[in-house]
Amino acid sequence: MPFFEQLAGNLVYGAILGSVYGLSTMGLSLIFGVLRIVNVGHGPFIMLGAFTAFWMFTLFGIAPVVSISVALVLGLALGFVIFFAVIRRLINAPELSTLLATFAIGIFLEEIAKFMWGPDHRGYSWDIGDIDIGITLIPYSKILAFISSIIIAYLLYMWFQKTKLGAAIRAVVEDSGGAAACGINVGRIYALSFAIGIGLTVASGVLVTLFVPVGINPYMGHEYTLKAFVIAVLGGLASPWGAFYAGFIFGLIENGSYTLLGLIPGVEPFSLTRFVAFSLLLVILLIKPTGLLGGENK
Amino acid sequence: MRFFEKYASLIPVLLIYAILFAIGISFPGMWQPVAFIMFYITLGQAFNIFLGLTGYVDFGYVAFLALGAYGMAIAVDNLGGANLGYGIILIGLLLAILMASILSVAVGAVALRLRGAYFAIATIGVNEGFRYFVEGARLWGGSEGIIISGDMRNIFGRETANFISTFVSDILVFIIAILAAIVTILIMNRRMGYALMAVREDEDAAKVMGINVTKYKVMAFITSASFAGLIGASAWTLKMTYVFPSDVFLITYTVEAIVIVMLGGAGTLMGPIVGGLIYGILKYYLSITLPGFQLLVLAPLLIVIVVAFPDGVVGALRRRLTGNVKKYLR
Repeated sequence: MPFFEQLAGNLVYGAILGSVYGLSTMGLSLIFGVLRIVNVGHGPFIMLGAFTAFWMFTLFGIAPVVSISVALVLGLALGFVIFFAVIRRLINAPELSTLLATFAIGIFLEEIAKFMWGPDHRGYSWDIGDIDIGITLIPYSKILAFISSIIIAYLLYMWFQKTKLGAAIRAVVEDSGGAAACGINVGRIYALSFAIGIGLTVASGVLVTLFVPVGINPYMGHEYTLKAFVIAVLGGLASPWGAFYAGFIFGLIENGSYTLLGLIPGVEPFSLTRFVAFSLLLVILLIKPTGLLGGENK
Repeated sequence: MRFFEKYASLIPVLLIYAILFAIGISFPGMWQPVAFIMFYITLGQAFNIFLGLTGYVDFGYVAFLALGAYGMAIAVDNLGGANLGYGIILIGLLLAILMASILSVAVGAVALRLRGAYFAIATIGVNEGFRYFVEGARLWGGSEGIIISGDMRNIFGRETANFISTFVSDILVFIIAILAAIVTILIMNRRMGYALMAVREDEDAAKVMGINVTKYKVMAFITSASFAGLIGASAWTLKMTYVFPSDVFLITYTVEAIVIVMLGGAGTLMGPIVGGLIYGILKYYLSITLPGFQLLVLAPLLIVIVVAFPDGVVGALRRRLTGNVKKYLR
């Protein structure tokens, strides 16, 4: 049955891509969970990560897996800068303000990227061979992306569970007033969480490049903002771990429905797959806005 | 006298329109920039009815503009042979309102149950989902869109078709702007305006006070969407004579509308006009002096406004004014 073989191959690929989706959404969920701010300019940070990987590879020949740490540091620094320049002043402002500010920050990053590197689509290929899993060939680079995402997510989880700072962040998520009363410097936790969220997002952008051969351009983030929203909502919006698992589910749904929609004559499966994703978003928001995977309620 | 005080704020608005119109028709070469600025003023006014009056951010607002554009294109494309003359434009405008308001009822019924961030995310989902549905299911020509320049020439002849796209479409935008200003002030002066002000300040408290919050939110949403549909039909389809999904669903128009409303002052009558004037003039000259990099200037501008002047120009001005002058500026 060639169709089932194709479906199985696409689902495996969906799971691998899903791990990167999950990682790329964790930052969004972390920032929302701690600061109650939706980073509407989420995607452009992924774009910055993608450009980091691209330049590290083409200028210095550094493998994307190594660039992850560079991107993480860059993202952390950028996160702190943005927090102290803009976000700090908006912590108690109405939701409208933070939505608009993060949106504008995203556009600003895109325009700076376009100003510096031009609007062209770029790409690089990091070919280190493929592995045959019986139904399809999978490049080692993608498997490395898969493993890296899981390792980063696991390390973050351990850091949250085992360290004092991690516990402080969890306390602020639970109840920022109570945390402040216990002597936690909530302002500092906000800054740290925002920076970690941005750092994770930029780092995930490095891994994204392994899946878009020639798709690196200033506006590539847009698509990931939208996907991240669907995934974050799927995972409960405020929970980074929920987002990570939801990334897998989204990857499977996306690739599965692409294969199935391809059977319908006279439609464009690529566009319809996205339609399915956004319909999913609306349905979840309506039925269970706290996310399918539990998550905390708001 | 009470009546005059309630509606006095319309006078400066109409005056500004009259001045813009006079500048446009008296000086050669000025009609195009005036129409350009007027488009942004009208877009801001239409969006202000929802964003300004309710405080909800709709990131998918451009979907209503797009549906309006499609409404006009579908009317011209399908009824081109019916020999209706200018009647076809009227039908197109009505279809635009109809399609935009149907979508707004559907979206409003679903998304307006959600608050703040959840609402904003849902509206992005609607806009993108709808766009991909049009492309994916090949609705209304799919990604190839609808081109009506040929139909327009067949119906009106080359000369008149040209006149419609370069002049009539702009006049329609002026008319929409006047209507939007009147509707805004009507809402602000009535129970609905006060109810929405209560929603903006504290929705839960408004609910407890017995205000039918959902009803007024949905009403503002539909009104705002209908105006967006009209703008899409006249400023997009009639002017450009084509509709492509990748152009009309562009999130940039939503952003521009937000910038205009916030710049001028959300929830005020004069705000979108001041915002539209500043934004329109700025963009027009930036596109000449810095082509392609307007957003590089506008994005930081929006950040500064949000952080430093959340009330906008009109909001800040109103706080300084007292007594008699204040009633002209709302």
